[in-house]
Amino acid sequence: MSTAIYLLAALFLPLFPLSMAFNQLAARTRQPLVRAVLLLIWPQLGIGLIALAALPPPAWFRVWALVTAALYAYRAIALRDVGLWIGFIATSAWSLVWLGGAVPAELALQALAFSAPLVLLSLLTGDLERHFGAAHTRLQLGLASVAPRYALALVMAILAAVATPVFPNFFTILATISSPVAGGDMGLSPLVIGSVVALVWLLWSWSGIRLLQGIVVGVGRERAVADMSRARARAYAIGYLILAGAGLELAGVLL
Amino acid sequence: MSRTQGQHLRIRAMVYVAGEPVPLFWPMRSFIANNPLHGLEHLPFAEAVERGVQLFHARGFLPRRTYQDYLQADAVDRATLSAEIERFVAARAPLVGIDLPHWLMTLLTRIDAPVMRRDVITDVAADVAADVNGVLAALAGNADRDAAPVDAASLIPDLRNRLLGDRPIYESIDALCGTTITAELNDLVIRACLDFFDEGQSVWVMPDRELGFFRAWRNVAGGPVRALLDEIEASEARAGQALSAEMVVDHIMRRLQVPEENWIGYFTREIAQLHGWAGFIRWRASARHYHWSERYRGDLVDLLAVRLTLALRLLNKRIGAGLPATSGDLQVLIEDAPKLVYLRHELYTGDVLPDMVQRVESALEGRGPATVDALFDDYTRAKRQVEAHAQRDRLHALAVQVGAELDALDRDTLSALLGTLTEFEQAEGMIWLRAMEDRAMQSLLTGLSLAPAPPREKRPFVQAAFCIDTRSERIRRHLEAVGDYQTFGIAGFFGVPVSLIELGKGSETHLCPVLLTPKNVVLEMSSAVRTEQPAVTSLGHAMHKLKESVLSPFVTVEAIGLLFGLDMIGKTVAPQLYNPWRGQLHAQKSGTHLLLDKLSREQADSILRAVQRAIIVEAAEQELGMEPEDVNDSLVRALREAALGHAELAAEVIGALGVSTARAVRFIDRLRDNYRINAAFMNRQMEELGRIGFSTDEQVGFVSQALSSIGLTRDFSRFVLLVGHGSCSENNPYESALDCGACGGNHGLVNARVLAQMANKPAVRRRLAEKGIVIPEDSWFLPAMHNTTTDEVTLHDLELLPTSHLVYLDRLRTGLTSAARLCAQERLPSLQGGGAGETASVDPAAAFRIARRNAMDWSQVRPEWGLSRNAYFIVGRRDLTRDMGLDGRAFLHSYDYRVDPKRRLLENILTGPLVVGQWINMQYYFSAVDNERFGSGSKVYHNVAGRFGVMTGNLSDLRTGLPAQTVLENGRPFHEPMRLITVIEAPFEHARAAIENVASVKKLVRNGWVRLLVIDPETATVCLYEEDGGWRRQPHGEFTDSDLSLRLCTA
Repeated sequence: MSTAIYLLAALFLPLFPLSMAFNQLAARTRQPLVRAVLLLIWPQLGIGLIALAALPPPAWFRVWALVTAALYAYRAIALRDVGLWIGFIATSAWSLVWLGGAVPAELALQALAFSAPLVLLSLLTGDLERHFGAAHTRLQLGLASVAPRYALALVMAILAAVATPVFPNFFTILATISSPVAGGDMGLSPLVIGSVVALVWLLWSWSGIRLLQGIVVGVGRERAVADMSRARARAYAIGYLILAGAGLELAGVLL
Repeated sequence: MSRTQGQHLRIRAMVYVAGEPVPLFWPMRSFIANNPLHGLEHLPFAEAVERGVQLFHARGFLPRRTYQDYLQADAVDRATLSAEIERFVAARAPLVGIDLPHWLMTLLTRIDAPVMRRDVITDVAADVAADVNGVLAALAGNADRDAAPVDAASLIPDLRNRLLGDRPIYESIDALCGTTITAELNDLVIRACLDFFDEGQSVWVMPDRELGFFRAWRNVAGGPVRALLDEIEASEARAGQALSAEMVVDHIMRRLQVPEENWIGYFTREIAQLHGWAGFIRWRASARHYHWSERYRGDLVDLLAVRLTLALRLLNKRIGAGLPATSGDLQVLIEDAPKLVYLRHELYTGDVLPDMVQRVESALEGRGPATVDALFDDYTRAKRQVEAHAQRDRLHALAVQVGAELDALDRDTLSALLGTLTEFEQAEGMIWLRAMEDRAMQSLLTGLSLAPAPPREKRPFVQAAFCIDTRSERIRRHLEAVGDYQTFGIAGFFGVPVSLIELGKGSETHLCPVLLTPKNVVLEMSSAVRTEQPAVTSLGHAMHKLKESVLSPFVTVEAIGLLFGLDMIGKTVAPQLYNPWRGQLHAQKSGTHLLLDKLSREQADSILRAVQRAIIVEAAEQELGMEPEDVNDSLVRALREAALGHAELAAEVIGALGVSTARAVRFIDRLRDNYRINAAFMNRQMEELGRIGFSTDEQVGFVSQALSSIGLTRDFSRFVLLVGHGSCSENNPYESALDCGACGGNHGLVNARVLAQMANKPAVRRRLAEKGIVIPEDSWFLPAMHNTTTDEVTLHDLELLPTSHLVYLDRLRTGLTSAARLCAQERLPSLQGGGAGETASVDPAAAFRIARRNAMDWSQVRPEWGLSRNAYFIVGRRDLTRDMGLDGRAFLHSYDYRVDPKRRLLENILTGPLVVGQWINMQYYFSAVDNERFGSGSKVYHNVAGRFGVMTGNLSDLRTGLPAQTVLENGRPFHEPMRLITVIEAPFEHARAAIENVASVKKLVRNGWVRLLVIDPETATVCLYEEDGGWRRQPHGEFTDSDLSLRLCTA
């Protein structure tokens, strides 16, 4: 029974190939707000199911989660669309929650820490899509030259999404690596798990930088676009500050 | 001639022709302002700009929004805009129901972005672009459902045109496959150029550079490239022939299947990819007596061979990915799969519809033809619709501003309107430009005074001849205001082309416009006792050596890094205190003299004999092991005569040498061949010695011409200052760009000293008097130097000044200092971001201090504005402009037609100074219009390359134009880009005939590269040369009334 529950949970804390459902759904959801809600709610459903199971997941589940995290992080490198990239990074990040411990409340917090920066990025992606039609590296947007506020907001959002210190997902990754659960019941040494998680983190950064390079850097094709309004830019700035504050707070809770 | 040789010559000729549009680039040590479109000056300006825009992927005019700002600031003549629009409209059929002039004026003045789309993809796929039906449907608020689907076959000609022809194959591959071959190739070529053309910056240099660019590069090329070249050699090289650059070019062009009729265009596109490097290589290959090019040869054929080889290698690397690798393959692909090619082009050039980018990308990633076909139909339909809606929106915005209803237009009218708008936007740049120039002309003409100069009661205290440089205008104006000074403008080399061999240097520096080659050499000599090099200087050299080696920097930083830190703090925190103190630690250049007089034949012969004697003694010691005391004078004389072929080798001489006859003969041969004691070399040396100095005739000629050309032939003052100019700044590779263009990008002091020294000679003065130029005995020509960064004017060669003049020196210095301070005060606001024409907010002394600090501050990216905002070239009396402030915008050349009845002086002014002025003007124009392509971008990212140029970052094309800090302020043009408005004050026929006689200037005028005005003081009329080839005459007085201001372009 618990295995069935965990398999169901693997749909929401997505593990490959069940993760394809989430990614299909995320790709089809064009509304930024709906996408944001999806990012917040979806992993919490999985954690609810884990809590329901009452028993720790089998060790192979954790190995499966680790493989999924690495697979999606690796595949994210090839992506050019920010919307799709969010889905892949979310899948990769939420997979790591399986390694995070046994206390559902902590897991919920970890999932939220992974989701929150992606929510902000998702909202920003919605803005970019509205202004430029898409947030895709093939469009040669050259944001830094044509819309510097958008460029700055995107840089910050991607940095937050790839778990740069002091954003909350950074501390969540640290907690995952240092978690006593990690490795203990998986038959893998903590060093191996830590290395794989670090590799996943590196791949996120790599893919994020590739996106920035394609969208922010370069000479933009001359499009008559207005830059982000100051009010909106301030709102995003407040968002990043809140995230950073939450990260520092989370450091105290998780570490 | 063999077929191969013939083909090689053809390749050379083709490359030569292909390279013509690429402007020459001189090493930055002597930065030469050059028109970036110099190679296109045979075309009318508008046509050349269009061609240059295509060739260099650049912009030829400012964006409309910037012109609109100029209009707001009254820097554009609205009446000319109207007149130009009227002229445009008059040449077209009227559009019923449309007030076209009103539409066009609204478009120009109230819409800040183009209404008609003119970009690459629309050109490629005209069928997919919005058409009238689409726009009509969009206006009606629905999609154009009746539109026929796009026929893929109709795209083929457009695609062929775009992707084949003279476009390099790898560029097309990049556009179709998203590869980055072009960027990779450019990087590799730049590295090869940096290695080969290095002029002493690298410690480890490329080996075998004596073999020439292509062969030296081949020797160090990596394995795959070398294998490729070996393969080409095996198939191409004939017996005994080494693989040449021409062979490689020929082979690769055939292998790429580029039709031979496209080769020249193809080569041009290849060369223009890195036009900075290509311009430098072009210049270098044609430079005479250039040390580095004489030692290490390289030309455009080599560059092309290297480039094509690397391109082929990169293409070969990707053939596995199923990409077309030849022009033929690409042609087949276009014809077989136009839909695929079109979609690929859309995706990889970034013009894909954003909404469909993901779908297009997925479809092109290995999906079948059916998917592509289906997508093509959907995509082109969507594209048409998007284009139509965008076109409607832009048109609607215009109509709203016009106050017209688009719905009222029928299909034909709308179609004609769209066509007219497209044509108008293509012609718009020239319209704005003419309107700006007209405004500038009006403001100049209203300020000019044709009144004759009031008679002087006494001669001026000082007469000063400054360079025509625009920066001289300010200092001249202030100098005239602070005392009894009369100033003149003359090309900064003072009409004396000099080749200087500076003290302590072994090479010649040409101090004259690059159009001239000096015949005379001037030696700088010191009478001071030779002293030991100061310890600090030696230490400095040692530090540099340590920095340049591979390992020592690691140790050096630890050991003595702190010293550099202190140096840095001193230069940053207190440059005005620290730099002079630091300068004292180094050896100071002592006072020098210039060797000006020609050597007599006897003197030259005596010098040569002495040199040859020393060589023969050395040779006898080296070759025959003789002791110095055995090589007596008579033996040396005999050996010399024998070597020169003047006498037989006598038996006594052989006996004195103490060797066999055969050995003695061999020794004589070695003297001839190895030690160059031979008649031919001696003749050459005599010629070289003959270049030193000027004969008295030449000196008289130069002084007479210089004085006559500025109209200074009588009433000489006690002091006649000859003021050269130059700039001083720290950490500035562009320093020479701020120096004197007429002196080949060098300081103008030496030329001033040369002319002063000539003019002070009694013998010269006697001869001048015979020619009617009587210089009083108490007149003294004094050289001076105007530092354009600080506006200080310093006097030189004071040790030669007669004692009778010393008493007046204080007054002179006070006047010069006052003028310098006032000048700094005037300039400072614009340097501090106050914009042009702002009034001074600091007192003169403070302004002067700040200007001096700018010159010493190594972090200062804009020590001065240079010739930014140059607009006018005025040839005439100073009285013409004395009463108006020209804000440092005018080249002022003094000229009095009354002393030039044969127009010879005017023709000289047109041939040299005007052409140099036009080059400068065009360099500023294009650097301001498109600083990234024609200029050199921000200085902040510049790095010196090979000691002759700068690159952006660590690897880029050589930056050829002016940096952003020289022409832009806060990203917007500080320099107002206009063609040079040339004013000649002379009777109309006099000026016209002079222009007709100077072919180069006639071409510039007729092709519209300069705007020409002749002011006839005898009839008080102004004659403007119009671009349609005629002259327009108007009385000068009309220009003073703004209502009757010049309407240049009315039909």
